[in-house]
Amino acid sequence: MHTLPQQLANGLLLGSMYGLIAIGYTMVYGIVQLINFAHGEIFMTGGFGALTVYLYILPDGTPMAAAIPLMLLGGAIVSVLIAVGAERFAYRPLRGAPRLAPLITAIGLSLALQEVVRNFYPGADKALAFPGLDTTHDIGSVTIKDADIFLIAAAIICMSGLAWFVRKSRTGRAMQATAQDPDTAQLMGIDTNRIIVIAFAIGGFFAAVAALSYGLKYGNIDYRMGFLMGLKAFTAAVLGGIGNIYGAMLGGLVLGIAETLASAYINNIPGMQQLGGQSWANVWAFVLLILVLLFRPQGLLGERVADRA
Amino acid sequence: MTETTKTPATPPADATPAPTPRGLIPLPLAAARALLLTGGIATAASTFLAWTWTSDFPGDLTVTGYPGGLQWLTFIAGALTAIFALASYGTRGLGWLIPARNNAPLVLTALGAFAVTWFTAIEIAAKLGGLANWEPGTYIAVIASLIPVLGAFALPQTAGETTKDTLKAYIAKPDRIPAPQPISPWAQRAVITIASIIGLAVFTYGIDTEYGELFIGFLIVVVFAVWALHTAGLLDRFSHMVAANRSFTLAMGFLVAIAFPFTQNDDHYANIGVNILIFGTVALGLNIVVGLAGLLDLGYVAFLGVGAYTAALVSGSEFSKFSGVQFPFWAAALTGAAASLIFGVLIGAPTLRLRGDYLAIVTLGFGEIFRIAVNNMDGDSGPDLTNGPNGIPAIPDLNILGFNLGQPHDIAGFTLGRFANYYLLMVLIMAIVVTVYTRAADSRIGRSWIAIREDETAATAMGINGFRVKLIAFALGASLAGLAGTVSAHVTYSVVPNPYQFAGSTPPNSAFLLAAVVLGGMGTVAGPILGAALLYLLPEKLDFLQNKSLLAFGIALILLMRFRPEGIIANRRRQLEFHETGQLDVPETTTLTDEPAVTKAGA
Repeated sequence: MHTLPQQLANGLLLGSMYGLIAIGYTMVYGIVQLINFAHGEIFMTGGFGALTVYLYILPDGTPMAAAIPLMLLGGAIVSVLIAVGAERFAYRPLRGAPRLAPLITAIGLSLALQEVVRNFYPGADKALAFPGLDTTHDIGSVTIKDADIFLIAAAIICMSGLAWFVRKSRTGRAMQATAQDPDTAQLMGIDTNRIIVIAFAIGGFFAAVAALSYGLKYGNIDYRMGFLMGLKAFTAAVLGGIGNIYGAMLGGLVLGIAETLASAYINNIPGMQQLGGQSWANVWAFVLLILVLLFRPQGLLGERVADRA
Repeated sequence: MTETTKTPATPPADATPAPTPRGLIPLPLAAARALLLTGGIATAASTFLAWTWTSDFPGDLTVTGYPGGLQWLTFIAGALTAIFALASYGTRGLGWLIPARNNAPLVLTALGAFAVTWFTAIEIAAKLGGLANWEPGTYIAVIASLIPVLGAFALPQTAGETTKDTLKAYIAKPDRIPAPQPISPWAQRAVITIASIIGLAVFTYGIDTEYGELFIGFLIVVVFAVWALHTAGLLDRFSHMVAANRSFTLAMGFLVAIAFPFTQNDDHYANIGVNILIFGTVALGLNIVVGLAGLLDLGYVAFLGVGAYTAALVSGSEFSKFSGVQFPFWAAALTGAAASLIFGVLIGAPTLRLRGDYLAIVTLGFGEIFRIAVNNMDGDSGPDLTNGPNGIPAIPDLNILGFNLGQPHDIAGFTLGRFANYYLLMVLIMAIVVTVYTRAADSRIGRSWIAIREDETAATAMGINGFRVKLIAFALGASLAGLAGTVSAHVTYSVVPNPYQFAGSTPPNSAFLLAAVVLGGMGTVAGPILGAALLYLLPEKLDFLQNKSLLAFGIALILLMRFRPEGIIANRRRQLEFHETGQLDVPETTTLTDEPAVTKAGA
């Protein structure tokens, strides 16, 4: 059953999710050179926002087709509000402070968000059941679920929408200008503060999309899910070239496929029989990050970043 | 609290070119001082009365005749207020208490006495259910502690533009403090000795507090007292003395640290002590990486874990993969440090060439991977090395030169239990780490670290090999953590993967360590140790915090970075860096000695 096409499909799906989250890292980094370490938690709160809509706002028995847009809306509102609030109240006052300060703030924010959810969301100290889309379809030798179709569709729509936005819209071009040179952009009449807020908001929205697909695909969410997903999404962003939105998506896909293939096939390599399986997948993802940093620190599509200070 | 005291509208600053100082509460100076003095004495005296009728409230406050529990803290706070009030009268022999000749210490001690008294009274009412549980003594205390606060805000003070500014001015430290009288070196050493003994007493009291209310009261008193001493300029005086007698102070510090287990008759508190020391040592190691070199290491606890696992593997535990191997302690410690060093170089070499942000994320990943890997290396889902989630139990006690650290020993009439033995060993390790830290920080490499931290591009242009010195910092930090890990493996009897994660509810984990360094003060020796002690004691003593401690630390980190990024104990260079003042126009806040300038002018 675990044939190569199936593994590739799994990797592609996982990778799309990484890519969606990685957008948030890469856009913020591209503009303010800040690793928004709390982005994984913004992803997590998006999941809880969507679940709240399903559990407490929608009447029981709402068909999923009607529920999903509303859940997406709920998740997006929560994620975007938290992302923008974090920018406004935690990061903006520290602009111009030594590099360490915003990073430490980001860690504090990430801890605080996790703990707020754990302590104050009913039942969130354990994993919470999320409505899944479990109907399966067979396409050739590949089996996929409805949730996977949602994920792929969402990823394609979001990515092409973002690409259009950044290239064609006025705000998007202002964004590119700010990323290249914030001071000059400001002199040209661009409200850089607004651009930064928009970057955070887009990142938050994409994280909410990813969180909803995560819930639909795996059928549960918990307050810690943002940590590893965020870490790997960041890996994906670095892999693709941080600051580059196409790179984030490509990096996500490469990472997802590499991770899936590693956990499926690495135990066939002589001498590494015991290093396969799901429990080592994270280790391989991380080894990939180290290898990328060693041999191509600018990432697959990125420019030179080593001395950009 | 008292900030809401009715205040007369302050006149606009430009109305009077030189406003005469006057109090927020219009009273003559003599009356204000009298209020402070009598209020302080009355507060202290009220603790000799009964404050409640039942001994259900912890600490037994029912006794008339002598203070108990929280009353002691009120007594001390009231007495401090009275002493500072006396000093403000210019009483002979007390003038040294307020070198800055300002009102802030009076205000702060009065506020401290008020806070601890009202905290106790409110806690009595809340815990026993209503004001009916107050005895007349409580009412007296509550009123008596309010008097010095009124007196404090009646002290003359130049009004600021707004009431908020005026209130700030009340507790501000003056920019200039008159130069001290020259004191003979022996007197200076005597002062340092006395201060160390007081420090030990305060610290021991804090560790030995038996219930949460007492610990909160203790914190209130300590915070206000230290703040008062700081604004009075006494801490500046003291740090000058310390700077003049550096090695003496270090020696005193370690003497006091060694004396700690002799003041304890319960090994439980020695256990707290040894845990604080382990936590503090690791925090100090992290401080080299974060505070000096400015590299954010988010997986630091993994290096502690590497050291602990290495020590456990070669400890001779029958559950270890190499159960036949039992290294002597020095060899095990070196092996643990070396193993951490290797991992540090493996992680650092690829990432340190890049911007610091990458290091943060890679170390975070490494910390997580370490935990996953030791969890899986049980021979079932991975290679057989660490026993998986069960860890390596039954680690034998250390035996150094025939001295078994697991057995209680009698030394000069004191019985030192198991944890007290390990405590003393940890003091030794801490001494090594402090030495390495200070020697490294003062060396050529230490200066390179700071230069790299400030501006890597400029430092590289000046000929510093950035990658090399960063790697040295990273590897040194890692091996110090590994060294501490080897001892911690023996202290806890067993090593399991669980504590070595990024964030958890009990220290040490990477988030707590970072919080300790940042809270205490990056780039200082005392800061991380103080931060570690605080962060360990808070959840330990306050049960209600245990579930929410991480939440509190997360918020504390955000607020700290926003409002006091240099931490409790500020490194001067850091302070300048965080509060951009253009560096050169900063007024010298410490005491000035004009002598060299005068001689130069004469020459």
